[in-house]
Amino acid sequence: MDLAFTPEEQAFRETIRAWVKDNLPADIAHKVHNALRLSRDDMQRWAKILGKKGWLGYGWPQQFGGPGWTAVQKHLFEEECALAGAPRIVPFGPVMVAPVIMAFGNRAQQERFLPGIASGDVWWSQGYSEPGSGSDLASVKTRAERHGDHYLVNGQKTWTTLGQYGEWIFCLVRTSTEGKPQTGISFLLIDMTSPGVSVRPIKLLDGECEVNEVFFDNVKVPAENLIGEENKGWTYAKHLLSHERTNIADVNRAKRELERLKRIAKAEGVWDDQRFRDQIALLEVDVVALEMLVLRVLSAEKSGKNSLDIAGLLKIKGSEIQQRYAELMMLAAGPFAIPFIEEAMEAGWQGDYPGGEVGNAPLASTYFNLRKTTIYGGSNEVQRNIVAQTVLG
Amino acid sequence: MDFDFSDDQEQLRDAVRKWVDKGYDFERRRGTVATGGFNRAAYGELADLGLTGLYVPEVDGGMGMGPVEGMVVMEELGRGIVLEPLAQALIAGAVLAGYGPAALKTEWLPGVASGETLVTLAYQERRARYRLDVCSTSATEAGGAWALSGTKSIVAAGDQADAYIVPAMAGGRLALFLVAHTAGGVSASGYATQDGGRAAEVVFQNAPAQLITTDGLVALEHAVDIGIAAACAEAVGVMDKTLAITVEYLNTRKQFGVAIASFQALRHRVADMKMQLELARSMSYYASLKLNAPANERRTAMARAKVQLGQSMRFVGQQAVQLHGGIGVTDEYIVSHYFKKLTQLEISWGDTLHHLGEVSARMEETAGVFA
Repeated sequence: MDLAFTPEEQAFRETIRAWVKDNLPADIAHKVHNALRLSRDDMQRWAKILGKKGWLGYGWPQQFGGPGWTAVQKHLFEEECALAGAPRIVPFGPVMVAPVIMAFGNRAQQERFLPGIASGDVWWSQGYSEPGSGSDLASVKTRAERHGDHYLVNGQKTWTTLGQYGEWIFCLVRTSTEGKPQTGISFLLIDMTSPGVSVRPIKLLDGECEVNEVFFDNVKVPAENLIGEENKGWTYAKHLLSHERTNIADVNRAKRELERLKRIAKAEGVWDDQRFRDQIALLEVDVVALEMLVLRVLSAEKSGKNSLDIAGLLKIKGSEIQQRYAELMMLAAGPFAIPFIEEAMEAGWQGDYPGGEVGNAPLASTYFNLRKTTIYGGSNEVQRNIVAQTVLG
Repeated sequence: MDFDFSDDQEQLRDAVRKWVDKGYDFERRRGTVATGGFNRAAYGELADLGLTGLYVPEVDGGMGMGPVEGMVVMEELGRGIVLEPLAQALIAGAVLAGYGPAALKTEWLPGVASGETLVTLAYQERRARYRLDVCSTSATEAGGAWALSGTKSIVAAGDQADAYIVPAMAGGRLALFLVAHTAGGVSASGYATQDGGRAAEVVFQNAPAQLITTDGLVALEHAVDIGIAAACAEAVGVMDKTLAITVEYLNTRKQFGVAIASFQALRHRVADMKMQLELARSMSYYASLKLNAPANERRTAMARAKVQLGQSMRFVGQQAVQLHGGIGVTDEYIVSHYFKKLTQLEISWGDTLHHLGEVSARMEETAGVFA
């Protein structure tokens, strides 16, 4: 047992740190460090910088052009990016659909889709949830009917994050209504410029349009865009969701935001208020505990000696921590979190923010926005069902 | 970064677990509780396993092992809510070896290691609460001989101990002393503790003492940190078993014609207990892996760990009783004894609020690096 990273891992961290320092655009880091609005261009600029280096698909094996890093190296990469103020990699392409294409797609699909994902040129979206299918994903109703060499897709997806920018979307579609709900689902890749696809942004409680509804009206999708076998999509989706949950703990971002919370608390004069400061201290303990939990999972992956079935715990704790730091940041600003000035979320805004501290402008919005974290990716209540199942049998 | 146990550590765990399972069943424990809360024979059996000498260097008759071995052992003793205070032997071994003069080590360490000598830390005072720098016990020197006067409270197995490690003010500075029970001027009145164990009020009246170190606060903080790491590990064992007992009960107990494990309200509570257990286990690892770090870093780590462990212990203990229903509040059934052990561990070595205050006071910008 040893808490310290090996000299090789330390050296790897230094390499990443130096590269990120040299290559992360300062204007983007500024926005991330201050929770200002990120544009499509900001996100894609960073994706392409990573793509050019071969690190957008940082979790990919070498045979598909990835760096072939270990679980620990991936963690260190994520940590260095997060602490430097890099935006989260938009995961739908490189983190979510790519592993499915690698594991279950055919060679032609791999050659066709993976390069555009690796380079950051093609923006992917996720078509999982539907108005009637939230945490109960197996109940998807969007239909895909086979007509010769293509499928005809009809239905609606929702909560499609950043779908307004999407060029391609991977969807769970129903290809059979026989048997259990899970057995009639297929995994289909759809070109979002196809006739019959329309996207409607959904304005969320923070005033931003982060998610969308995506409608499919007699959309013709070539049969060659089916991943794997028809009606086996549920298996592939589960493969994807297992990737999503370890990613979702986001402990590195929590570490960055904890430091930001301390800065805000100092600026707002509550750092020396013992009652407030104790709340930050509690959060700090939470973040350290989450990090230890994450490191235990990584260590188990590294050695292969023991397996830890605590992915559900990571999602629950990680999401609660995200909500808590956002809450405390807002509370630190107190009444000066009240003004709702949307323009102040833009970098370089020159207006007068009430009270004079423009850094307070995004605090309430972030708090509102992060209420999603305990809902998405399988709500925390569903996660508790899963955890209970593993404990109680 | 590696959280795997070595083969030797796994063997040590197996040996202790086997003793707990076969040699320390609930009936034996109950018998010890009824007869005062400390069983010298059981303590001798821990010594036979080599555990009392875990932190005593090999040259002084011990095993010279480190914090991870200590953690493994304490986890297993926790699973059996063992009453005999092995943590005291860990503290005595490490403190005497780390801070004591050579003659003192030669005189006392072999006995600590063999289990023939029980040395316990007598540090708590009425007005100090959890503070280590508040001490009214005083030491005076005359002709090269030290004598101690003062009262120490809640000394683990205090009336059974053969000697005490005692902080006292010497010339305006905290120093650490060793006082033999039989030295004269020492009186210990024992009593039961809430977990079924034993403690004592120990009064020193001009009692002859041997100086361990004049750097008393440094040594005392180290001693307490060993106690914290041991308590964290012990608590993980207690909680692990508490959850297992609760799970078995939920899967067995029927109400409304079904096993109560089928009710979602209870299932979610179990998930929350599992969460608290795994956070606690993670922070117990953290505490033990930081036990040899520089003092400031070590102290911060212990405070963070104890905050997590305190919260986890309170939750797991209370919910285990709640999920058992009526039988959970009886003395006859085992779960209440686990609950009481957790409760006592929470308020030992500094409670959650005390350590939250420590974390809060020590909280500076860490540049995102904790581990």
